Amino acid sequence: MTEQAARAKIAVTAPHRIRRITLGREFGVFMALLVICVVLTLLNDRFLTTTNLLNIGRQISLVGIMAVGMTFVLVSSEVDLSVGSTYGFCGIVLGMLMVAGYPLWVAIIAALISGAVIGVINGLMSTYLRLPSLIATLGMLSMVRGAALIMTDGKPVTVNAKNGVDATDLAIFGFIGQGKLFGVPMQLVFFIVIAIAGWFLLSRTSFGFRTFAVGGSAKAARVSGINVASVKIWALTLMGVLAALAGMLSLAFLPSGQAGRMGLGLELDVIAATIVGGTSLAGGEGTILGTVLGVLIIGVLRNGLVLTGVSPFAQEFLIGLVIVVAVAIDKWSTASKPA
Amino acid sequence: MTKFFTQLAFAACIAAVSGGAAYAKPHNVKDFPLAPRIAAKIAAGEKLNLFVSYPDVSNEFAPFVIAGVERAGKIEGITAKVIGPVGPDADAQISEIETLMDTIDGLAIASVSTDALAPILNQMIAAGIPVVAYNTDNPASDRLVFAGQDLTQSGREAGKLMGDTLGGKGKVIITTLVASAQWSIDREAGAREALKAYPGIEVVATIDTGTEPQEIYAAIENAMLANPDVTGILSLECCSTPAAGTWVERNNMKGKVHVVGFDLLDLTVEHIKNGLIDATIDQGPETQGFEAVNLLAKFLHGETIDDIDTGVKVYNAANIAEFK
Repeated sequence: MTEQAARAKIAVTAPHRIRRITLGREFGVFMALLVICVVLTLLNDRFLTTTNLLNIGRQISLVGIMAVGMTFVLVSSEVDLSVGSTYGFCGIVLGMLMVAGYPLWVAIIAALISGAVIGVINGLMSTYLRLPSLIATLGMLSMVRGAALIMTDGKPVTVNAKNGVDATDLAIFGFIGQGKLFGVPMQLVFFIVIAIAGWFLLSRTSFGFRTFAVGGSAKAARVSGINVASVKIWALTLMGVLAALAGMLSLAFLPSGQAGRMGLGLELDVIAATIVGGTSLAGGEGTILGTVLGVLIIGVLRNGLVLTGVSPFAQEFLIGLVIVVAVAIDKWSTASKPA
Repeated sequence: MTKFFTQLAFAACIAAVSGGAAYAKPHNVKDFPLAPRIAAKIAAGEKLNLFVSYPDVSNEFAPFVIAGVERAGKIEGITAKVIGPVGPDADAQISEIETLMDTIDGLAIASVSTDALAPILNQMIAAGIPVVAYNTDNPASDRLVFAGQDLTQSGREAGKLMGDTLGGKGKVIITTLVASAQWSIDREAGAREALKAYPGIEVVATIDTGTEPQEIYAAIENAMLANPDVTGILSLECCSTPAAGTWVERNNMKGKVHVVGFDLLDLTVEHIKNGLIDATIDQGPETQGFEAVNLLAKFLHGETIDDIDTGVKVYNAANIAEFK
């Protein structure tokens, strides 16, 4: 069966209804974000300032970049718990190569390839070795973190002139992480570009369609001639590359990385933001716009709770509460929609 | 039967010790009910296996401690090995010690959690294995001695440095990776106590930054935006100290916002040289690692040991060149 035929077949079972639900979800997440923003604006006059909004934009960017990748992974009905470790590992690879005297472009390519390789291995374990991705990537989380610690012996990697990094490379690297384009922090620029590319890939290309098909029903997708394993491997590879990119941007922003801490626990933030944005853990549902809104909700909350002087312990509680409430409202509203 | 009574007497002796009858200080092995297997190794002149348990072998501080342990490993008659969890996990630290207990001839420990680790440490002491604390004391246990910095005192010193740097007036935020950790609580208490001596200084908030570098920077960024009149950032540990200096640099606040912190990570040293951090307190982690092993080696070889205060060494722009 050709892809066009498969597309037509699956479209019959998932017509306008899914689009309606998706639209509704994004609207619900957007309304939640709006309410949070209004409340924070009323509580603190520094919230709605250009400086703070740009701060929020920069602070959410790295999690956001990874959340775009996680959307593909979750939509394909898999999960990747190794993103935080991949982020740290690839940042460390980049830093070590720069300190070792390699040109910036070589270090960047090597870091991105490292992320891709980790993603491919995750994909192969989850498909051909038939390991649940939860287990495969949990193991990878530990292996990758351990590898980074072994490589560095637990010591920080600092990218600076004192450690022999070329001045031109240092300037470019600094601009990538700390520079601004028309006043917008570069990390945020990267996030915007990745989000737009991710949106296009997921909703306007054959790969995006196949990702939804595989996540919605692997059996139906297989019958329709879609190579399920290939789609999942590509989704996890994309995730690895985006985690590598985020790790590189992190090191470019704070040019001293430590294998034990870089990206530690970020996988939970990434998955939480993606799910808050309406992507289903069961696969087959999700949008990049929803993910961006989910990332924004968590980022705005973290920022706003500090601005309003909420105690750090209460912050953790409130963020957890919002995640649970947001997902619960999403589930209830979806369940109550007429078929 | 004789064996039974011997064991009973030994157990009674151990119970008295572990029941809170702490050893008189200073300590000598002749007053310690050493496990027979360890006593036999000493008598035979065999190498003793000393273990140094660090609460998170993956953090930035660990390599310095490990370097000290490796230096001490050259002491005659011993081998020294660093153990500990990746990430501050009390259960993992306990499990590792339990697994190795039969091979440990002496343990130096910096506990993830004082209360969680105390029972296993007392169990080891009851089994005749000497235990000393280093870096972070464990007063809830019957450990023999402690080698490290008085955390409350180092907090006082940081508070005094901040007070003097600000000229006795201004607003301060305190940053810490884990506000609920015992070391953080002790240092914060010391810092706040010292800052009370400066009536013109107000501590606005304690910021729990988390441990991930981007989160640390974002937490400082948000806190400074929320409190734009803050003129001092007092960091309680290694890792929010350079982040605070970076914030000062990125926001052109050199000379307007002052930073006092702890430890000597690469970026901290660089920021001090560039005037972005005013002062930092060194804990001498390499010395702590060395003394952890050295105390055990001395004790097991018959020397009397006592607490060691590794002191508070302050580095600022005037003397940072001394640090290599």
